[in-house]
Amino acid sequence: MDLFLQLVVSGVMTGAVYALMSLGIVIIYKASSVFNFSHGSIVAFTSYLVWSLLVQLQFSPMLVLGLSLGVIFVMAFCIQRFILQPLTGQPILAAIVATLALAEVINGLITLIWPGPARVYPKVIPSGVVQMGTVVFTWEASLNFAICAVAFAGFMFFFQKTKIGLTMRGTAEDHQLARSEGVPVKRIFVLAWFIAILMAAIGGVLMAKMHGVNQEPLIALGMKSLSVVILGGMESILGAVIGGLAIGVLEALGAGYLDPLVGGGIEEVFPFVILLLTLLVKPHGLFGYERIERV
Amino acid sequence: MLKKPCGTFDQTYAQDMAPVRTLYRKILLVCLFLCIFILVPFLANNYFLSVMNIIGITVIAMMGLNILTGYCGLISVGHAAFIAVGAYASAALSNHLGFPFWATLPGALLATAILGLIVGLPSLRIKGFYVAVSTLAAHYIVIWLLLHGGEVTKGVWGLPCESPVILGYRLNTERSMYFLIMAIAALSTILAFNLVRSRFGRALVAVRDNDIAAEFMGLDVFRVKLLAFIISSMYAGIAGWLQAHYLGMITIEQFPLMDSIWYLGMLIVGGMGSITGAIFGAFAFRLLAQAVISLSPIVGQLVPALSGSSVAGITQVLFGLVILFFLVVEPRGLNHRWQVMLASFRLWPFPY
Repeated sequence: MDLFLQLVVSGVMTGAVYALMSLGIVIIYKASSVFNFSHGSIVAFTSYLVWSLLVQLQFSPMLVLGLSLGVIFVMAFCIQRFILQPLTGQPILAAIVATLALAEVINGLITLIWPGPARVYPKVIPSGVVQMGTVVFTWEASLNFAICAVAFAGFMFFFQKTKIGLTMRGTAEDHQLARSEGVPVKRIFVLAWFIAILMAAIGGVLMAKMHGVNQEPLIALGMKSLSVVILGGMESILGAVIGGLAIGVLEALGAGYLDPLVGGGIEEVFPFVILLLTLLVKPHGLFGYERIERV
Repeated sequence: MLKKPCGTFDQTYAQDMAPVRTLYRKILLVCLFLCIFILVPFLANNYFLSVMNIIGITVIAMMGLNILTGYCGLISVGHAAFIAVGAYASAALSNHLGFPFWATLPGALLATAILGLIVGLPSLRIKGFYVAVSTLAAHYIVIWLLLHGGEVTKGVWGLPCESPVILGYRLNTERSMYFLIMAIAALSTILAFNLVRSRFGRALVAVRDNDIAAEFMGLDVFRVKLLAFIISSMYAGIAGWLQAHYLGMITIEQFPLMDSIWYLGMLIVGGMGSITGAIFGAFAFRLLAQAVISLSPIVGQLVPALSGSSVAGITQVLFGLVILFFLVVEPRGLNHRWQVMLASFRLWPFPY
């Protein structure tokens, strides 16, 4: 039972970061019906970028924040304007292959700009642990959880209360109607990509802070958010959060109980097994819409 | 499907169904075969033959992906994993059980067919990008299983594999392998060509274009999708079987996710849903990769920051950009350009 509780708590802590990253995929899908396969690469790229600005160039945190937001905006604009906008109206395969190719371009850029071994963020948080009954977790993990909660609250506030957030939700409902009401749909798409990359960046930096900035693991991490959104349902923000926590917990449980049987490393594939099972049993996820099609 | 020149009229059903219709086509086809099997192997050096061997294996794999993605519209982002299973199955059979070269092929085919069946199962209820996601997940799971396969797959060390022996003659040079690979590539191409103009091939296209309408017309959509998965992965099995015996060593690094994406990219660059397109794509990508490898020292001298060690990065960025370029500018791929060229050649000196 102690092991179970411990695994659940650490799973929730990891799952919160997964949930945050997965919001990025959901928001793009809701806005423009594009499934972003390059999410993992974007996670890795942004964590490297923040590392470079913060540790390598020693900029002040505010400057880093400003510069990162700028780069993220440029990325969002270029992706939407030069890749996805020309593909509007093409079959779904075009958008899928486009994001896959984009992932490879970003991976290649990472290999070119930051070759060699993993980078490490300096430790600013005390490395001690918090003990609650029999459950132990690090300060860093709990701080991550808090940051995720704050980011998620901000995200919800943006979409529930601000005018532009409401406009985005309206656009997601119906593009044509939004256009006729005077909403600049193309700019909304850019904004959706901006927020998505921002979520990826926050999640990536949080994870990289704990485990080091390393290309392959970070990409794999971002790929896990695919299973999160499939489990939660593509169209649902609540689904992404619940899916993220569920994947985090299931992954921790799988690693805790199955690893001794298979010799380690099962948390790398456990989310994908869940993904396949979800597609087999309930393809639209927990909270997704089941679309009815006509000929 | 076959575009015929002006004034060629079919008067019998045999003529209508003939794969090679006109005299020119027959002459060109014979010339092509002569070129592949006689001219190239006796003129080319070892380096060129090794490139051609890789292209040949890629063409076989592409035939499978073309049937699944190009014709049936199920996007597979896990083709490299299917090839890996074929390669590992044949390497494991020849290593642990001492199977001869030819006897490992049924094992590879069986293993990949079962994998294709399993991966294809979710396609009962999903389509579009959900299939892409499920094959992507399958890629991660398969690679993980191969890496943690214990004694059977030997983890990160990989498996050695003997060079093939046919009728007591050991194929251990590039030139001898060239004949084997090209013969199998030609056979696979002919098989794929005939498959897609059969009843099953038309069923694939019907499912791709509108699966609900296809079901309405009496097609068993799930069966067609599953068969497409199985046939596609069996092609991958043949490619993996050849790759294992050709390279002589199989490790997990030979099958990254990147390769799966490149196969999709080849399909886009070559042209979706056409046999010639798949071949064009394989040639374009493999030749481009060789060009990057041979040009990178020069680039490294001009721009010292991009030293020779960054070939992988340059290749990735370049290939990604090429795919994006084709998606945006010419989604019908090189094959469309080739058809346009053929048509203008045929009609010369008239514009149309």
